Amino acid sequence: MKEQIPAIQTEALARIATAADERSLDDVRVAVLGKKGTLTLVAAGMKDVPKEDKAEVGQLLNAARTTITAAFEEKLRALQELTDRAALAGIDVTLPARIVSAGVLHPLTQIRDEAIGILRRMGFALADGPEIEDEFHCFDALNTPADHPARNEKDTFYFDSGKLLRTHTSSVQIRTMETATPPVRIIAPGSAYRRDEIDATHLSVFNQLEGLYVAGDVSLPDLKGTLEYFLHELFGPQTEVRFRPHFFPFTEPSFEIDVKLTVKGQAPRWIEVAGCGMVDPAVFESIHNNRKDNAFNPEQVTGFAFGMGLDRLAMIRWGIKDIRLLIENDVRFLKQFA
Amino acid sequence: MNVSLNWLATHLDLSGKSVKEIDDLFTFAGVEVEGIVSKGITSDRIVVAQIREAVQHPNADRLKVTRVDAGEGSLRQIVCGAQNYKVGDKVPCALPGAELSGGFIISETVMRKVESRGMLCSAAELGLPPDVDGLLILPDDAEIGRPVKQLFDSDVLLELEVTPNRPDLLSHRGMARELATLLKTTLKPLEIRSAVVSSALNLQIQSTAACPLYTAVKISGVTIKDSPAWLKQRLESIGLRPINNIVDVTNYVLHELGQPLHAFDAAKLTGNIVVRNANDGETFLALDESEHTLTPDDLLISDQSGAALALAGVMGGLTSGVTITTNDILLESAWFTPQGIRRTSRRTALSSDSSYRFERGVDPQAVLTASAFAVNLILETAGGTAETTTEVAGQAPVLTKPVTLDTRKLDQLMGGSIGLTESEEILTRLGLTKRSDGAWDVPSFRADLQRHIDLVEEIARVHGLANVPSRFLGAFVPASAIDAAYDADMVLRRRLAALGVYECQTIKLIADHQLADALPLRPLQDGDIIRVKLPLSEDHAVMRPSLVPGLVASAARNVRQQAKSLRFFEMGRAFRNAGGGKARDQESDSLALLLSGGTAPAGWHQSDRAADLYDLKGLINALVPNKNIRFSPKHRDGFALGCDIKADDQTIGVFARLKPARERELDFTSPVFVAELDLTKLRKLLAGIEHVEDLPQFPGSSRDAAMELPATLPNAEIETVLAKCGESLLVACECFDVFTDPTGAKLPADRKSVAYRFQYRANDRTLRAEEVDAAHHKVLEALSQKLGVKFR
Repeated sequence: MKEQIPAIQTEALARIATAADERSLDDVRVAVLGKKGTLTLVAAGMKDVPKEDKAEVGQLLNAARTTITAAFEEKLRALQELTDRAALAGIDVTLPARIVSAGVLHPLTQIRDEAIGILRRMGFALADGPEIEDEFHCFDALNTPADHPARNEKDTFYFDSGKLLRTHTSSVQIRTMETATPPVRIIAPGSAYRRDEIDATHLSVFNQLEGLYVAGDVSLPDLKGTLEYFLHELFGPQTEVRFRPHFFPFTEPSFEIDVKLTVKGQAPRWIEVAGCGMVDPAVFESIHNNRKDNAFNPEQVTGFAFGMGLDRLAMIRWGIKDIRLLIENDVRFLKQFA
Repeated sequence: MNVSLNWLATHLDLSGKSVKEIDDLFTFAGVEVEGIVSKGITSDRIVVAQIREAVQHPNADRLKVTRVDAGEGSLRQIVCGAQNYKVGDKVPCALPGAELSGGFIISETVMRKVESRGMLCSAAELGLPPDVDGLLILPDDAEIGRPVKQLFDSDVLLELEVTPNRPDLLSHRGMARELATLLKTTLKPLEIRSAVVSSALNLQIQSTAACPLYTAVKISGVTIKDSPAWLKQRLESIGLRPINNIVDVTNYVLHELGQPLHAFDAAKLTGNIVVRNANDGETFLALDESEHTLTPDDLLISDQSGAALALAGVMGGLTSGVTITTNDILLESAWFTPQGIRRTSRRTALSSDSSYRFERGVDPQAVLTASAFAVNLILETAGGTAETTTEVAGQAPVLTKPVTLDTRKLDQLMGGSIGLTESEEILTRLGLTKRSDGAWDVPSFRADLQRHIDLVEEIARVHGLANVPSRFLGAFVPASAIDAAYDADMVLRRRLAALGVYECQTIKLIADHQLADALPLRPLQDGDIIRVKLPLSEDHAVMRPSLVPGLVASAARNVRQQAKSLRFFEMGRAFRNAGGGKARDQESDSLALLLSGGTAPAGWHQSDRAADLYDLKGLINALVPNKNIRFSPKHRDGFALGCDIKADDQTIGVFARLKPARERELDFTSPVFVAELDLTKLRKLLAGIEHVEDLPQFPGSSRDAAMELPATLPNAEIETVLAKCGESLLVACECFDVFTDPTGAKLPADRKSVAYRFQYRANDRTLRAEEVDAAHHKVLEALSQKLGVKFR
């Protein structure tokens, strides 16, 4: 037995050394150290070893097992290293990617969400109204006289029912004030319609964002502070903002707002971005006359309203030269906004 | 409206005002400056200078250092590159601050280490027609120091947009009046003799509502010829074409004072002037040779023969106007009611400088002044004799009334940013006068000032919002139901984008022929479609009842651009009538999806695969992940594979494939799958969970089964049996293979093999193998009994 152990060890080490792969190496382990392995069988013979030799043979056995196991593990590491190296060799990390399709939000959605996000942070809540409107909500209640140029069939889409497609989101002001109680602080994004031929700068269906703030003491300083803050958030804190007097039937005084922007490759210039003004008392009057309460008594409330074209904002933001790109949905165009 | 700066300067002193300053003045008065066209030299800072010395530049071969006399008392050193002059020549010298054509502003500089305090200019640099190469040599007698612009014709044309509430600005006098207010200066007086009037013997107004005031004066023995140079130049300066002296005077007065006038050839009138409503169907031949059929709502200038001489306030007639043979004229100056003029102008599609002003409202008090002014000019330019009196019929309407300024409200609205004295000063400068009772009298040309708020507007406008402080305050308001809907929509949008779908925005007015692609949740019936009365074109004639037609059109457009992978969605409103057009219009929010073509483009590692309906189903699954999404077949006219889409047991939308014929028609090369989902329902499905479920504490076991079935048996029937088999240990099942063999070799062609994996688990213990086997047996038994499944 004393002779057998070194012989097994020598043979095992030789076979480990020549093992070509993990499987043949494992065969060696099984053949030597496995349940019926040569060394295991020898160990099983320990019970027959004379008592006086047991210590010595035991030592020999342990030494052999340790040596063989160490050689096995070292060889295993070496073989794994080879396999790993082979597995990583020849991988070309510079080949193109496997494609994961990425979608995109429409630029209008993006600019709308940005504007809405700012205004909601400023304490405005969303409001809504129908796009198929009646003359009362679109014009009469907004202090627009019956013979106003916007009210004819060449400029506004009418239906046989006498209804019309709202020409601005300002009708939501009326819809809201009919049921709400001040303070009213709303924004209303939505479509508006005008009978304009579609060309590079006009769509017959376009998108607006309306705003309204009505309370007991809303003043021009509120209008100015709110819209300046909003535009600074949207276009950057250094952006110059100016308010030009203008005329709208439903606000007085009224202003158009310009921001000074640098369109790529051009000198900075004033670009009109919004209209605004203090709600005309005649608008409150028409609400007041149709309500049973005193919530919108023109003697007791004031307010400001504003509106802006979202398509226009998108065109300004991204230098889009033709508004039709916003409704054609060419993937080559949309992709750029991902 | 076009305004000439030279013309404007005849009414007030604008010296020292740059074009930029005037632009700003108008802009902040509420008059939008849409364009500025400079003609000739405009800057006062370009003056006549004499070259007194010219020596070689020490550091540049091509430059000379000149010293010029620009009339400043001392010589000015300027570096110059031109070669065409000699010492003693007079040339234009741009002093620092001068603006050259093209917007370049001169400043003092150092050129190659030599100071240069201005610029000697060529003709081109001044915006004049290019002359010789080099400096513009001025005449010897040009006065040193004088602005060069005085030697040349120069002017600035301003293209101004006047808001509809300010008809008083639609003339040079009116614009000048506004500038004078803003500049706190006075207007130059306008010398007009007042007209001597007589009541009208020869005028008859039949419709005083439409024409409250009509005046006419006869001028005999005029000579029709070209206008004098100054008059032609005035008209040309605002882009008008001179015609003859009489017509030019009327046009001139219109643009000078804002009052439209009309001159008739007196010889073509029969008896007296009659202002009357047109007869129904009466025809009128306008001087632009267009013919119009009139209604009784249109107002005509006629005579005793009944001839239609002019469409009142809109356009003269072709036969009654002034021609080269005219000897006597009748000059009309009147006030027509704006609403009537607007209706006639719109109905006849005729508009003119006159109708533009009448429909906005001219100053009733200027009717006679303008007439007198024009008579003088006509006598000056065409000779003749005017009747000593102007005939007047009717009365100038009074459109203004005293207005009270509520100072408490003024203070509130302005945030206390302007004092009462300053506010009253603004009103005074605008021509208002404070009465003893504290109210304000409004001048006749400002009929737009009717209420307290109108006065506030004027004060705010002149004061300027720049002088109002900003306040950052706001009431707290609760979020609305619309807020919640918006947030849900954005979640859906972002999910779809993350799932590789492109968001579209299509136009809500579609063509009739696109209705074939409409896939609304409830099929369309007669009368459901909402049609606009006067569509711009057939392409945009009806309100979309569904979002699918827009997506199909967008996809088709992309196919024409060679796009291979079409993955689109759109969210928005759809429109239809409820109850055959009698009931209310309904607006609903929808989400539409379209998939066609490559799911992932082919690459070095994979081949392309065209999207199929299971891709679209997967997309909807991913949108509302914890709901059981099922497609339940339901025929849709005009589509293939129509299905209701169900989430758990609720119908939330419609699915279909375009008919292959429609796909071919639109040049699609892959099947086109579309779905339209009810956004209101989807939003609710996003509500999220109320309680989280405990994780399983014990492991489960799975068993597979391959079943042979008729090839036509829908998978849904297997699902139904499994759902109803009542085996409580069955917690999940999954279809992982479907095999068919059309050749019939491995499986009869009319049969299919479907493989399922069944998952069994109990919440309170680890199942023993026998328990799993028993449960699995029960499941298979149910399948075999209900569906006649054979297990393989």
